[in-house]
Amino acid sequence: MASAEPTSTAEESIPRRAFLAAAVGAASSLALPGCDRDGASGGGVTLRFWNMFSGPDGRTMLGLVRKFNAQHPDVNVVMQRMHWSTYYNKLFVAGLGGRAPEVFITHRYALRRFVGAGFVRKADDLFGPRADQLDPSDFDPNILNAMQQGGTYWGVPLDVHPLGMYYNRTLLKSVGFVDNSGAAKPPTTRGEFLDVLHRLKPKPGASSRDTTWGFVYTWQRTNLYAILRQFGGQLFNSTLTRATFAAPQNVQALAWGSDLVRQGLVPGPQSADSWVMFMQGHVGIAFEGIYVLPDVRKQAGLDWGAAPLPLLGSQRATWGESHSLVMRNDLDGRQLDAAKRFIKFLSDNSLDWAEGGQVPVRQSLRDTDRFRAMYAQNQFAKQIPYVAYLPPAPYVFEYLRAFDDAIELALRGTKSAQAALQAADQIVQPVIDRYARQDLWRDVMGGAQ
Amino acid sequence: MTLGTGAPTTARNPQPLPPRVTPADDVSPCRARADFTGYLFLAPYLLLFGVFLLLPLVYGLWLSFMQYEMLSPDPPTFIGLANYREAFADQRFWTALWATLRFVGMTSPLTILLALALALAISTIPDRRQHVYRLMVFLPMMITITVAGLVWRWLYNTEFGLLNAILDNFGFKAPWLTDRDWAMPSIVLMTLWWTVGGPLVILLAGIRQIPDAYYEAGALDGATGWRGTIYITLPMLKPVLLLAVVLNVIGAFQVFGQPFIMTQGGPERSTLVLMMYIYETSFNNYRLGYGAAMSWLLFLLIAAFSVIQFRLMREK
Repeated sequence: MASAEPTSTAEESIPRRAFLAAAVGAASSLALPGCDRDGASGGGVTLRFWNMFSGPDGRTMLGLVRKFNAQHPDVNVVMQRMHWSTYYNKLFVAGLGGRAPEVFITHRYALRRFVGAGFVRKADDLFGPRADQLDPSDFDPNILNAMQQGGTYWGVPLDVHPLGMYYNRTLLKSVGFVDNSGAAKPPTTRGEFLDVLHRLKPKPGASSRDTTWGFVYTWQRTNLYAILRQFGGQLFNSTLTRATFAAPQNVQALAWGSDLVRQGLVPGPQSADSWVMFMQGHVGIAFEGIYVLPDVRKQAGLDWGAAPLPLLGSQRATWGESHSLVMRNDLDGRQLDAAKRFIKFLSDNSLDWAEGGQVPVRQSLRDTDRFRAMYAQNQFAKQIPYVAYLPPAPYVFEYLRAFDDAIELALRGTKSAQAALQAADQIVQPVIDRYARQDLWRDVMGGAQ
Repeated sequence: MTLGTGAPTTARNPQPLPPRVTPADDVSPCRARADFTGYLFLAPYLLLFGVFLLLPLVYGLWLSFMQYEMLSPDPPTFIGLANYREAFADQRFWTALWATLRFVGMTSPLTILLALALALAISTIPDRRQHVYRLMVFLPMMITITVAGLVWRWLYNTEFGLLNAILDNFGFKAPWLTDRDWAMPSIVLMTLWWTVGGPLVILLAGIRQIPDAYYEAGALDGATGWRGTIYITLPMLKPVLLLAVVLNVIGAFQVFGQPFIMTQGGPERSTLVLMMYIYETSFNNYRLGYGAAMSWLLFLLIAAFSVIQFRLMREK
């Protein structure tokens, strides 16, 4: 087995300088794509703007940044996009190290965490009657109030992206779920919703290619949170100091959602890639955010419609989130002025942003013909008055993990809804207690949801 | 015929040896310069080793005794063994450790056995054609885990994945990554494909180092074919095999990329391995002290396994 093959010296003849030059070039090119540098250079104010818009929405935002830079030659906004799964880690570490960008995006649920960490600037002076300010009365009150804490605005809501209902017109028509004109009718009540589920229930012996479902859970967190809030549930008490996951309304909601799986009306998480099934035309109804709109539009052969969520519980509610425009807390002088102009520009132009699958939060923008022509955004916007944000607790990432686990355990039938939610309580309450014990953000804890 | 120790026995026409010089005797400027040159060559590695391995290791140990919450305005405070006690009482730590042990228990034996089988098979192929097979097996290792993980996530997709498209023809769909009983074996299968090239190359090199003389001698005693493999190749390969096993087990204990990319630790935390839990604790929840304590527990576990493996292999 030992070879008499002579040792090759080919490796030694690699032109090292050429290799190093290529490596340095490659490394440089790899380092650059995250940054989108546009606009003026030299002399002007530079603003770093971080966000998590790594999909088509990133291109839309980049277009807005370019437009701003062109209109404001004294400011150079440098936008950096990151994938949302690691965005908050990077942003937080940068902030703690004193290197936070001048302007950045956070979801509303994470805003309080950043405020508590002390690197968010108050945004009160962005609102007011002057031409260079934003008129607070133009914003939806519940959306704008969600940016408040302790009577202070900490960010400007750029949009709201509620969960809504997408439905497959072809499938609903095929099972006779139509209105008087014969068009597919989106269900509006629990009874109608269950009717669709029964009509589209998979037929025994059907091959996987012919299988249909009335409904699938897409993002379990948002789907179940919407149902839970419709049943009157809350994850915490009003001061965010006690976990109430196992409250009767929450248990009732999760049990109802899990029973749909047990009854064979909805596929379990292990059985399907649910959103793909909807896109492939195998599912009648799916609850998803307005942000999937670009994908739905692109799907050839899918005749789809959009509508608010049906009333499944005792009150109207749907999950929603907002991208908030936030400034670093130590801005002053020209940087502060530039940051304010940039934020106002983005808010004023949020109809452009809405085109890519968002809902503007300014009534004046929604009252335009341009917005009325946006079919899905219009349908989803009907839910704004009862949008339910996830509680913005400082321990948000800890409790979301426990919430996700509880939902998954219940939907898969590994635990009952009661047991799964009790387990979540037992995980989250010590976290809350730890935050309280260590005085972690004593000013932040105790704020209203 | 008995086999020798394998030590070279080719000394013919022995020449008189030069007088033995011990390092203590040699204090000439030339020697000092040679030492200095040696350290200069070592310096870059020592620097990297010290700054990026030794220092973080010691700093991590210090952190593990501290309560260090990045969210807190307070400075780190010494809390003794509290972080370690918390780990032992933390159900999630044990769940993550169990997931890690399941991964190691499935991956390492399979990888080594497959690598050994492939190495033995490839070594029987004429040298000029071996390159192709070596390349075929080693190529996946050159793909980053991000790319490999994403590709396999697509392959495993329940609805449009290639594997289920094939299985669908037989009226069956496998829940590769969506069922808690399937997810870990699916990750192990992907890991086999991705990493088997590493031990394969090591083992092939080991096989090539076994002198032909042993096989020739063994053939005279009838040790041909599989007997040659069992009585000559495997015993001679033991040190290399030990290295491959230890490296593989260490790597397997530190698994992170595959579950992070493919399952995010799900379903039902069945693939949430310890490295992921440490990452979650340290960089999502910013509890650096507790994260460091769990890292040190993992480090000690890996060290213990490595020592046991060395002992077992040496004793035999």
